Parts: sequence; C-alpha cells; structure tokens
Amino acid sequence: MLPMRPELLKGHLDALLLAILESGPQHGYAVIESLRSGSDGALDLPTGTVYPALHRLERAGLIASDWQTVGGRRRRAYHLTQAGHITLSEHRALWDQFSTAVTALLKRRTWPATA
Amino acid sequence: MASDGLATSTGTRPNDPLAAYLSDLAAELLGPRRRRGAILTELRDGLEQATQDRITTGLPPERAAAAAICQFGSPHAVADAFAGELTTAYARRTIAWFIATGPLVGIWWLLLLHPSPWRTGLIALVAAIPVIPLIIAAIATASGTLATTGRLMRWLPETSPRRALSATITIAMLCMIIDLTMITMIMVSGTPTRPLMIIASAASLTRIVCSITTVRHTGLMRMIQIDHEVQQ
Repeated sequence: MLPMRPELLKGHLDALLLAILESGPQHGYAVIESLRSGSDGALDLPTGTVYPALHRLERAGLIASDWQTVGGRRRRAYHLTQAGHITLSEHRALWDQFSTAVTALLKRRTWPATA
Repeated sequence: MASDGLATSTGTRPNDPLAAYLSDLAAELLGPRRRRGAILTELRDGLEQATQDRITTGLPPERAAAAAICQFGSPHAVADAFAGELTTAYARRTIAWFIATGPLVGIWWLLLLHPSPWRTGLIALVAAIPVIPLIIAAIATASGTLATTGRLMRWLPETSPRRALSATITIAMLCMIIDLTMITMIMVSGTPTRPLMIIASAASLTRIVCSITTVRHTGLMRMIQIDHEVQQ
C-alpha cells in the first residue's frame, strides 16, 4: 500500500490521534507506530507532524500527559480526557456522514443527463 | 544561542549520534526554556525507543540510531514543526505575565488616586483614571487570546501563532501607554511627592522596561514566524 501524504490527513489527524489514545495511555513514538501499524503502513507520518499535534491536543484539553520513568528514561505518556472522549464521538459521527456521502459520489456509475 | 545547554541537560552523552542530533535541534528551537526542555526529553525517549526497536530486528546500534534519526527528520524540519506550538506557548506565557502583574502595578495608582466610583460615579472615575478604557482593551485582548489558544478553542476559532504574537505586542504597547500616561499625569498635576507616588511610578517604570523588552523579543519572533509561514 502506498503511504499517504500528510496534507491528505489535514483536518483528520486530531481524530486519528484521539482514536489511538482511546484504548489507553501511549507515549509519542508508540502513537506514531500505532498510526502506521493500524493503517497497514498507509499512515506513515513524519515525527514532526505527530508530536506537535499531540501538544496542540493537550493545549486544547482533549488529552493530558504524565511523565514516567521507564528503564531509566523519562517518558511522556498521553491519555484521553473526558472532553477528548466526547470530541472523538463527535468526530466519528461526522466522519460516518462524510465518508458515506463521498463514497456514494465516488462510485463508478452513470449520472442522469441534465436537459 | 537557543539551546541554553538544554540538550546536555536531557541526559545525552558525547559522541552519541542521538546527542548530536538533539544538540542541533536544541539550537534551532525558539520558545520558553521549560517547553523546549520537555520537547527534547520527549524526543530523546522516542529516538531511543526507535533505535531499540531497530536493534531488536537485527540492525547494528550505529545503523539503528542513524535509521531512527532519519525517521524523525532533520533537526531543522522538526524545529519548524514545533515552531507554532512554541510560539503559542511563548505568547500565552507572556500574556499570563501581564495579567498577573497588572494588579501589582494598578494597586499603587489606586491607593494614590483613591477614586470613589460609588460616590462620584463612573464618569468621574474615568476622569480620575483616564487609562481605564485602555486597561479594558488590554484585558479583553489578553482574555480573548488566552481563550482561543487554550481549552476554549474547541468551541471558538483557534488563534494562529502569528496572531497570538500580534496580540502580545498589542498588550505590551497598551501597558506602555497606560504607564506613560499615568506617570505623565501625576508629574504635571503638581502633586507633592509622596512615598506612594514614588512606588507607583517605580512599578510603572519597571513595567515599561519589561514591555519594551517584550515588544522587541515578540517582534523578532513574529518576523521568524512570518518567514516560516512563507517557506511553508
């Protein structure tokens, strides 16, 4: 599968990051790996895109972070807040509507001719 | 230099490719020191994890580190990616400083002029302290910027880093005008010098110096932010 360009994800990255963190706390690099493995390699985003996006979500109060010490290294683990769970549900509903509409339009079929 | 020894404070070792990478990155990051330190610590953990994952698959440590660095991107690219967040963090911190120190300056002028709005009315209060509309404008700009770069940006349109810097410059300049007006007003009034007047003027002068520094520094950051947006 071809990797997608980051600009194609514009507007959807927040929802993807929230969805990845829904299952439990993860550190930044694990989030990047989850994006890649969860999309069969299609979403292989540059690190420089994902870390600042996580910081922005934290600023918006949708995720929160804790510093832990793992194997002698300081690690920042992110988790969803209550507001993050609500926003993720809203994103899912919007995506369902959007994808249904776009899929319907992109299907190969003959359009009725206008007079 | 922007690094301020931050790379070494994140536990890096000399002759370590990850240390060299983080040192280069530290030199390119602009913004509050604590935020830069947190970013470097977080990226170091990510780089070490990425290196470890590659060693597990059989790569020798040097090649594993090089591959991890390649995945993270050049220090310049990563610094560019963090520029917006660091700029916003700087603007929020500076605006919060002006909000926190505002009452520390204002209290001395209130004690000196002791207006009594409940007796004389609002118009008399504005006549006694003519900078009140400017204070309201500064508070409104500060509150609006903090709200639209923080938790309220879920509901309100998000303020861009460049606009956050513009708001910071506006607030600093309003504070300068407010302080200069108050000092000029008390000097031309012919009021005999009192300890309270000296304290109030000293507080305002201190804030004028801080405001000038803020305008210069924020103006520089704004120019860098504009360059960054043009390059994108």
